[in-house]
Amino acid sequence: MKYTILNRRAFLQQVSLFSLGMTLGVPRFSLHSAFASSPPSLPLALVKGSNYEQITRQAVALLGGMKHFVRPGNNVVIKPNIGWDRSVEQGANTHPQVVKALAEMVLEAGASRVLVFDYTCNEMRRCYRNSGMEETLGKMGRSVRLEHIDQRKFIEVDIEQGISLSRWDIYKDALRADCYINVPVAKHHGLSRLTLGLKNSMGVIGGNRGRLHHDIGQKLADLATVVKPQLTVVDATRLLMRNGPQGGRLEDVKKADTIIASADPVAADAFATTLFGLRPEDISSTVAAYRMGLGEMRLEKITVREHTF
Amino acid sequence: MTTASRTESIRKYRALRIARRCSQLFFLGLFFFLFIKTDYTGSDRIEYAVNILFRIDPLLALSTILAAKVFIALMAPALIVLLLAAVLGRSFCGWFCPVGTMLDGAQRLTGSGKKETGPTMFPRLAIVVLLFIIVSSVLNVPLAGYLDPFSILVRALTQAIYPALNSLAVSFFTFTYESAPPAVNVVTEPVYSFMKQTILPFEQKYYDLALLSLLMFAALFAAEFVQRRFFCRNICPLGALIGLVSRRGVLKVGGGDTACGKCIHCRRICRMGAIDEERNVSMGSCIVCMDCLVECPRQVIGFSPGPLKSGNNEISLSRRQFITTLAAGAMIPPILSIRNNDQQQRSALIRPPGAREEGEFLNRCVRCAECIQVCIGNALQPAFLQSGIEGIFSPRLVARSGYCEFNCTLCGQVCPTGAIQELSLEEKHRAKIGHAWFDQTICLPYAKGIPCIVCEEHCPTPDKAIKFRMAEVYDDQGRKVRVKQPYVIDSLCIGCGICETKCPVYGRAAVYVTSAGEDRDTDNILPAAGGAGPY
Repeated sequence: MKYTILNRRAFLQQVSLFSLGMTLGVPRFSLHSAFASSPPSLPLALVKGSNYEQITRQAVALLGGMKHFVRPGNNVVIKPNIGWDRSVEQGANTHPQVVKALAEMVLEAGASRVLVFDYTCNEMRRCYRNSGMEETLGKMGRSVRLEHIDQRKFIEVDIEQGISLSRWDIYKDALRADCYINVPVAKHHGLSRLTLGLKNSMGVIGGNRGRLHHDIGQKLADLATVVKPQLTVVDATRLLMRNGPQGGRLEDVKKADTIIASADPVAADAFATTLFGLRPEDISSTVAAYRMGLGEMRLEKITVREHTF
Repeated sequence: MTTASRTESIRKYRALRIARRCSQLFFLGLFFFLFIKTDYTGSDRIEYAVNILFRIDPLLALSTILAAKVFIALMAPALIVLLLAAVLGRSFCGWFCPVGTMLDGAQRLTGSGKKETGPTMFPRLAIVVLLFIIVSSVLNVPLAGYLDPFSILVRALTQAIYPALNSLAVSFFTFTYESAPPAVNVVTEPVYSFMKQTILPFEQKYYDLALLSLLMFAALFAAEFVQRRFFCRNICPLGALIGLVSRRGVLKVGGGDTACGKCIHCRRICRMGAIDEERNVSMGSCIVCMDCLVECPRQVIGFSPGPLKSGNNEISLSRRQFITTLAAGAMIPPILSIRNNDQQQRSALIRPPGAREEGEFLNRCVRCAECIQVCIGNALQPAFLQSGIEGIFSPRLVARSGYCEFNCTLCGQVCPTGAIQELSLEEKHRAKIGHAWFDQTICLPYAKGIPCIVCEEHCPTPDKAIKFRMAEVYDDQGRKVRVKQPYVIDSLCIGCGICETKCPVYGRAAVYVTSAGEDRDTDNILPAAGGAGPY
């Protein structure tokens, strides 16, 4: 008897929450994460040093090595920020050496193919060339491919857990990769204050991307429910402090010689925020993603494994 | 002539005709190669002399130099063509010109080449056209670009044929990619990838005046149904100019005369109508195609240096025709000068960075579309009437179509006449071609209280020309919201138009560029606060 009452109570509770969810326009899928107990926090690697290949390698090593993320024969996507026709020193794009080190590690872990791309803001060929990406990755042989965006590969995806974004065109390879490694460059941004890992995912989506700027934090978090990196490596070797996300002046760039890596995309962003003297809660996408249960933003809950060369 | 020596002479001329065809194919191939290379290839410098076709064009050189009233060193190679014409006749038209080659090729493809070609329909027209162009050029209305064969060709290729072929390829390979079985894609995908790396443009481009550009070019082919090389002999002012030199040159073709009797085979087959009833060959028309030399049954036609055997059959204008043409040409400038000066049109006329002051720009611009072809952002579009009817097909930036890439200087590098001056990267970064304005009635943070700073994000100047300030506005529900509102810093904006290109508002952009404040026009200055300016 007791048993049924409880059941009914639980049932009513769920129904009322569900209908509340409906009135708020929250799809039922988000209920799962609301009820789920928060998973144990994933470690975060923080490595400093002036040899960027070395610190990238060390950061992944602190997380258990690339074998932890990549299985032999895997197709891996590495998604750096190559959005702008800017040089390496100007700090608007991910440092090619960071990408190179990651690609090497991925191959060492037995992956069969590494695909690197970004849907750029400036002319694609100019970005790939002047970011130094083309030259660096071009020497890595046939298993590493720096690909220009192929419009045919954008497929419309239902973002079932989306609160502000329900459907968008997403690059097929980003969704179907066995392992998706997000490699943002940490920099200033006028609207979202900073652009980090979640914002970097805008480089795998098509359509009129400018429209996402309304309620951008929630939209980026929504996007993160379908574009899920197994590993986020934040390139904080140079920090573009002002005039981001494009920069162009060396005096706006601060040398920080830092790599942050984590399997938790929210934690990586949250921690990178502190490099700019901000708090994780200052970045709306971090907050939205944390609320959706996509990761940890409370710094005190994040286990940091540090190394300085 | 013995049979043996006749066979020998036929063999010789046949070899020369094969050489002519090879030459035509070679230069056509070279032309296509240079056309495809008129693009960013990973270097900030254009690697090939992609504009060479226009720099060896004596018509464009003459017209531009007369209009600009200054010697243009870039166009010096055109002198070589004129000198060669004195030695080799109009072989430029028969052996080199890609348009001529295409017209000949079209004849072969349609099989209409066997037809008798008939006498040239309007034998004096081409010279009248040439004279008209020269007169109007002197009077600062250069029209050469509209009838120059190379301009017609490259405009059509750039603005219609090449992008259309790409569109076709993309549709086809998108269809196979999405709908064909994997077995088909194993073949089609490598083919597509190879085509993209070699002959297809990097991105699909879209052009105003695509149809008009194509129609002008197609008209040359349609005219082939009237007679062979109709354009070349009746209209082409470039051919006429070269003909003026070659008729006085050393190369002569001839040998036939009234003794040939009823055989007028040479006259019948001549694609240029260069041979008259007395079998004199007009060297102002002959393009040295070798047909008559190969096919003459008696093998009496040959190369004969020196004066013609009998008379002169070169086309010339009567005094009356000459004066009428001069007068007609001279009427153009006053007619154009009395048009209503529509200032609104001028504000939509954003010229590429490095473009000269408008009058000087139009004097030099030969409408060759090289800048439009090389523009990586698809920003440059052929103007329609924004600069008057004499400015049609000249390049202008249409920012909703594309923006001027901050670190790119290619248009100035390919301009064959210096209408667009070549800028260094530092000069380009500072060159102001126009100015951005916000339309606050549709800009989201102003009109709707919706946050959006896409324009600021993309603004390429290192100290951003678009900044924002916090403002309290009412949204569409009447709620008070705080948003960042973008505004333009006059001294920093260079008018590249990326803000207009990327503005996410559908249709008409909420931020747009005009030519206001452009460097090249001292009248077109921005209103300045504080009473510093004329406003």
